[in-house]
Amino acid sequence: MENFKKFYGNTKDRLFGYLIRLTGDYELSRDIMQDSYTRYLDRYGDRELKLSLLFTIARNGAMDYFRKRSRSEPMNDSTATAAEPADDGENAILIREEYRLVMRAMMRLPPADRDLLSMVISSGLSYREIAIMTNLSEANVKVKIHRIRVKLKEIRDGM
Amino acid sequence: MKDYLISTFIDDELGIDEKTEFVKTVHLNADFKDETLALIEQEKLLRTDTVNFVPPVVFSGKKSRFRILSLASGAVAALIVLGIFFLNPLSETQAGLVPYRFVIFQPRAATAQITGTFTQWRPVDLSPAGEHGYWEIVLDLPAGEHRYSYILNGHLQMVDPTITSRETDDFGGENTVLEVRR
Repeated sequence: MENFKKFYGNTKDRLFGYLIRLTGDYELSRDIMQDSYTRYLDRYGDRELKLSLLFTIARNGAMDYFRKRSRSEPMNDSTATAAEPADDGENAILIREEYRLVMRAMMRLPPADRDLLSMVISSGLSYREIAIMTNLSEANVKVKIHRIRVKLKEIRDGM
Repeated sequence: MKDYLISTFIDDELGIDEKTEFVKTVHLNADFKDETLALIEQEKLLRTDTVNFVPPVVFSGKKSRFRILSLASGAVAALIVLGIFFLNPLSETQAGLVPYRFVIFQPRAATAQITGTFTQWRPVDLSPAGEHGYWEIVLDLPAGEHRYSYILNGHLQMVDPTITSRETDDFGGENTVLEVRR
């Protein structure tokens, strides 16, 4: 249990950062994070403490949410309409003002793009590890992540 | 031109040959340099802290000895506290308990609760104080050191912003530390 406590302490900010960048929703991110650590602890205990495994569980949780929410916004459809960030209630109180403008632009990216960019920014995982998680080649991650950054810049320039 | 080298540079993923190519391109191609600088600036924004407060994960069950912030247990705790107030107030005074008023300003919260060592970590409801977003409760506490947090809307844990003495729990969450004197 001591190992898991350390693991939790070392990873929770990164995991929540990934989820809030991906979903734009504080409460939803909290729920997915709660569920991810609980599942991890139930299934693996502190025998196998891997960052990539934790992020895979959380990513699957987020994907389930996106799938349930709308068939028009699948994770792999780059043309899907992006979501507007929830900008009231807890979001308004708890999401930093400095980040809210960036978040608005982020939420105009398709979920699959937000997922990859959020993973690269937040997780500290390498391109190789992210490629394995996302079933992409490492070369493809390199190219995709750059295209997403450029796309985000175009969105911000147009706002 | 391998534009993706910009992101590979930002993410510290350049191989040694790519580093050479990247530096040469930055020197030779002004557009590439400008794009690199613009994306680095964007990256600073993207990597800024996203939230004011990362919510703690609540672990429960046999695998954890950490506190459980369940609403159901709140009712039990409320009964305990009410019992302390109304059933035997005289003995409480004789026991040397000190009335302590907890107040928090949270105008957007739908509910506010307090949980701490003095409630056996069970949430107890605060009541609205007036109509301007203040919540309060008066509890009789024994002298000594106590730890507690507020819970907003049933799940958001936060420390008491009016008291600077704090302590992290086993999972990195924070509690306020309060010293009560007679």
